[in-house]
Amino acid sequence: MTTPLSTPAVVGTESAQRVELSLAADAQMLFLARMTAAAVASRANFAYDQVEDLRLATDELCIRLMSENDGGGRIALVFGWDDEGTLDVTGTLTPDGSLSGNGHRPPAAVTEPSDELSERILDALVDDHGGETIGDVHRAWLRIRRHELAG
Amino acid sequence: MTNDAQFEVTVSGQPGPAVLRAQGEIDVASAPEFHDALSGLIAESPAVLIVDMSDVSFIDSTGLGVLVSAEKQMRAEGSGLRLVVTHPQITRLLELTGLDEVFTVVSNTTDAVNA
Repeated sequence: MTTPLSTPAVVGTESAQRVELSLAADAQMLFLARMTAAAVASRANFAYDQVEDLRLATDELCIRLMSENDGGGRIALVFGWDDEGTLDVTGTLTPDGSLSGNGHRPPAAVTEPSDELSERILDALVDDHGGETIGDVHRAWLRIRRHELAG
Repeated sequence: MTNDAQFEVTVSGQPGPAVLRAQGEIDVASAPEFHDALSGLIAESPAVLIVDMSDVSFIDSTGLGVLVSAEKQMRAEGSGLRLVVTHPQITRLLELTGLDEVFTVVSNTTDAVNA
């Protein structure tokens, strides 16, 4: 489900349950976001399948942010989780020319059919997600709840 | 720092169906290379194109979009595109997106040839 203009407060107010990552909004850097997502999900005691889900969902969240501008800028990712198994990821893209990477993105001909797929993937993998744009700042977020294993 | 799961693609085609073997991670960074390799093979008008993704550990919407475009092109020319998928997460992703109904998905290249 996509909910515009409703960025939730990130869970995980304890500093030990909060991770922040800042990276250039550059396609070549997205693997760092995936690696961090996997590490955070493991730390939050998510099972393997959900670790993979969060890895992909975080990648899609970053793609969504990168599609909002013409390249450049930085993405700040905040991962927060709580003891009850709720994990939030909030990504914020800001146009910071002094810190931007080369903004490497695939040509539109490559990405054109993927927007709908990206939405479908996020709908399937996470419990809730959304985004908003205020001025030249783009924000996207997702929330995923840990599946408790039977037995 | 570099991505340890670097994307690579190799192509073979004679004799038999055209085969594109991908490995690594297909994401927004590697999708253009994936797209170019597929387009190059499709331009040769093969009757059957097999995309072997046995060694692909990750694919996102950008990579899936490349596959969807390739499948449309192949179908328009009356040709067939078949995917070899063994990674359970990719199988699940195809199911979640409904693309398992769009592609012919098999678990090994022998089945892909005979599909």
